[in-house]
Amino acid sequence: MSNPIISCRNLTKIYKMGSTEVRALDDVSLDIEEADFVAIIGSSGSGKSSLMNMLGGLDKPTSGDVFIAGQDMRGLSSSALARFRNETIGFIFQQFQLLTKKSALKNVTLPLQYRRPRYAGQLERAQVCLDMVGLGDRSHHKPTELSGGQQQRVAIARALAGEPKVLLADEPTGALDSKTSVDIMRLMQELNRDGITIIVITHDEEVAAYANRVIEFRDGKIIADKRKEVAA
Amino acid sequence: MRRFLTTLGLAFSSLIEHPMRSFLTSLGVIIGVGSVFAVLAIGEGSSRQLMEQANSVSTRTMTVYQDWGRQSGRSSQARPRKPFVESDVEEFRAIPGVIAASGQVGRNVSAVSETADWNSTLTGIDTDYLAANDLTMQRGRAINYVDLDQRATVALIGQTIARTLYRDQDPIGQRIKVNNIPFEIVGIVNSSDQQNWRGQDPDDFILAPLTTARNRITGGNQYVSSHIESIKVVGGPDANLQRIQAEMDIILKRSRGINATETPDYRIFNFAANIAARGKTQQTITILLTAIGAICLLVGGVGVMNIMLVSVSERTREIGLRMAICAKKSDILIQILSEAIVLCFFGGVLGLLAGYSVSYLPFWGDDMTLVYAAQPALLAFGSSMLIGVVFGFLPAYHAAKLNPVEAFRHE
Repeated sequence: MSNPIISCRNLTKIYKMGSTEVRALDDVSLDIEEADFVAIIGSSGSGKSSLMNMLGGLDKPTSGDVFIAGQDMRGLSSSALARFRNETIGFIFQQFQLLTKKSALKNVTLPLQYRRPRYAGQLERAQVCLDMVGLGDRSHHKPTELSGGQQQRVAIARALAGEPKVLLADEPTGALDSKTSVDIMRLMQELNRDGITIIVITHDEEVAAYANRVIEFRDGKIIADKRKEVAA
Repeated sequence: MRRFLTTLGLAFSSLIEHPMRSFLTSLGVIIGVGSVFAVLAIGEGSSRQLMEQANSVSTRTMTVYQDWGRQSGRSSQARPRKPFVESDVEEFRAIPGVIAASGQVGRNVSAVSETADWNSTLTGIDTDYLAANDLTMQRGRAINYVDLDQRATVALIGQTIARTLYRDQDPIGQRIKVNNIPFEIVGIVNSSDQQNWRGQDPDDFILAPLTTARNRITGGNQYVSSHIESIKVVGGPDANLQRIQAEMDIILKRSRGINATETPDYRIFNFAANIAARGKTQQTITILLTAIGAICLLVGGVGVMNIMLVSVSERTREIGLRMAICAKKSDILIQILSEAIVLCFFGGVLGLLAGYSVSYLPFWGDDMTLVYAAQPALLAFGSSMLIGVVFGFLPAYHAAKLNPVEAFRHE
């Protein structure tokens, strides 16, 4: 087994809602191997979204440590964190979160626009990513001219543009019908086969079935961690 | 530099997505910059006009004329109506700083040549007259001491007389009958570029020696033989006109036997003082209007800030997304700030154009000139950019401190 690309140690996150404290993550320790395909499942409020925010470096834990690709997230300033996110993690969201007035191609270049020094050949790279998700011929369409599944493909291409080590997907099929969901999950499987680590957060067992490893959360704790038998 | 341009380009492309809103947002800045620019141009124009006037002979001129009206309350026999005399003029001429002092008498006359007649004015003049009135000879000779001494019947004529009475002929050497008294024309005076303040034709005049005019045209005075109706005194370019005026006052009071406490029966009109007062009024008006323009600019800035805040909260999700997948806080700060700056930049450019086109509006009279200079343009434009930075900062800061996790939940 290779070194874990993501490693959480005694991760706790407490949200204060007025006078009551909500323990969204309760002393979670977790390792995720490189090039793995992991699904994190649980009902809403189980803490899986909080975990996603921690793993993506979007939020800081109340206590405990997160290491991503060997980097201690605790030690990073907010701008260093932004840079780290940009270069290491690709995000995919339930609502796609595309810029509606920009073409698919421009949307995909978004992570590259913030690279310093300037990323040469942004448009070429974006086109390559659109080709990867099978939308090479739609690069000049605006998101409003694309179907939901196509929009999510654009979002995946955007996540891939920065050549991240980890793809974090938060309910990637939540806004899609079941047939399109299958297409998207197959695409993710293909990407995983090419060597990228994928973490999918979902409450849908069918979606989780595409993963190699399924971790189930309830009340901020891991209650199950099953590895699918890999057919040899 | 390249990064800077890229950022501005991004800001521009995001503003162009809402062209109407962007235009209306910068309208306040456009009006502010335009009005500051135009007002400063108007102020500069009128102050230049004043400066030109202040350097001319006419503004260094003081005119003395009689003011019998001021004797109201006195009985008619208390003091005879006393005219000025030639010795007054000579004493004025001796005041240091005076370059010309000229006494004159005048009448409306009928002038007849061999072919035409014309109603004009005849002015009896001395040798300082041309200098005191900023006139030059076009042809022929001026009136000299010999003419004055001999009461010669010679005359100078203005352009209008030459044109109307002598059409194709050369007037010099010709005879002109003024109230039936024949004069020989010896010279023609150049056209005056001074606008006559009564709106009369400034070139319609006949000039004759003072002594001749007094003797033959205007008639004498029952008390003094060397009487004069009004006196013009011109100071040198650097002369202290107030001091000259004070000395003139002393001379006249002594010559006319007026106590220091008495109301004088004459008036000295000082054109320079008049101009200075006008200059002050204009300066005040310019400052006032500029202040209004500046307030407009300020209000425009608040408008920019307001719309930018709306636009930030409208784009909360977009900003959250940008922060989640790529952008640093400083990237967001710079993005919003540069949008405000770009707005104010275009507002400034359009404002300068608007301010410039004000001069093509039809309601400016001939005496109103707008002088555009680089300095006020830079001032107005610079303040619009400053407004962009200052009023862009709050919305930009607002955007940059958004938490990406919360920004996402924002609908």
